[in-house]
Amino acid sequence: MQRQQIIGWLAAFATLAGCQIIGALLSRTLHLPVPGTVIGILLMLAVLIYWGRVPGPLRVVAEYLLRHLNLFYIPAAIGIMAHVALVRQDLIPIIAALFGSTFLSLVVGALVFQWMQKKDASREGEP
Amino acid sequence: MSDIAWQPVYWDRVGEGLVWIGLTLLAYMLFRNLQQRLNGNPLINPVLLASAVIIGLMMLSGRDYDHYNDGGQWLLWILGPATVSLAIPLYLNFRQVRSVARPMFVALLAGSLTAVLSAVLIGMALGASPETISSLAPKSVTTPIAMGIADQIGGIPALAAVFVIFTGAIGAVFGSWIFNALGIKDPRARGFAMGIAAHGIGTARAFQVSWEAGTFSGVAMTLNGIITALLLPVIWLLFS
Repeated sequence: MQRQQIIGWLAAFATLAGCQIIGALLSRTLHLPVPGTVIGILLMLAVLIYWGRVPGPLRVVAEYLLRHLNLFYIPAAIGIMAHVALVRQDLIPIIAALFGSTFLSLVVGALVFQWMQKKDASREGEP
Repeated sequence: MSDIAWQPVYWDRVGEGLVWIGLTLLAYMLFRNLQQRLNGNPLINPVLLASAVIIGLMMLSGRDYDHYNDGGQWLLWILGPATVSLAIPLYLNFRQVRSVARPMFVALLAGSLTAVLSAVLIGMALGASPETISSLAPKSVTTPIAMGIADQIGGIPALAAVFVIFTGAIGAVFGSWIFNALGIKDPRARGFAMGIAAHGIGTARAFQVSWEAGTFSGVAMTLNGIITALLLPVIWLLFS
């Protein structure tokens, strides 16, 4: 590993973390009804559009973080430990809502996408 | 979490925090490798299984969530920058995505509203408490965004995070079966629906199926996070 490469990765992570931190600060100080992470994503997009390209190290770091996205969800899942009482009290509605709503949104999302896409395709005269 | 709270450092707790980070990494790697060895079987969900193992270890050693969180909060903090990374595939795939902009936009609105309204209505119909319902509402968007939304509409951010994880796991495990049963073959439609309903965990699953499905899932997850964050607080005002 070359030192330059490591510096590139650190700079890429700092860029992503910087967008996240600035987003969180903006959301809090301006009392915006939008979570900081969403502002962070939009900031990062604006920076990429300004640059007109994705620097190599940024792409590598982003792909690495997204490939291991599951890892960072684990501490959030363990948070169930702190709310066992409420979960136990509302267990049936919670299970019904999670399964029912997830199945429904999978079905609606896929069917609407397919239906709209076929409509568009036939309008353009494609088979 | 997206908010940074500076607290005094208790060095005797830092060591235990590091141990929990190490154990979380080990459990994650173990189940990720197991899943890959079983050809990406969706039932071997690394998030659910690794969390179950860690919770088991916590109970055996008699430690509570605060002790775990000394380390866990740092791992969770990285979820913020990792979520910001979604801007990169969105930017890179913009041209590919633009060709189906209209079906995407309509499916996004329909899927996003279905996810929020059906969760809230089922919760209400079965008599869940108001905090539970507010924490269920943002369950289909990725954790850092869902925690922010839950906070704004009177839910419990940590509980919202747990609902988000289970939603993602349900989508990742059952998504392919549902799409097959409905006869939906287009990887773009399958990926896009997966990203709307089951955010990052569904996207991780979609990438295992195909690169195209994963790309559309990632784009859907990002757009759904943005649109839900913008719309849900407004819908909430109308409801209450």
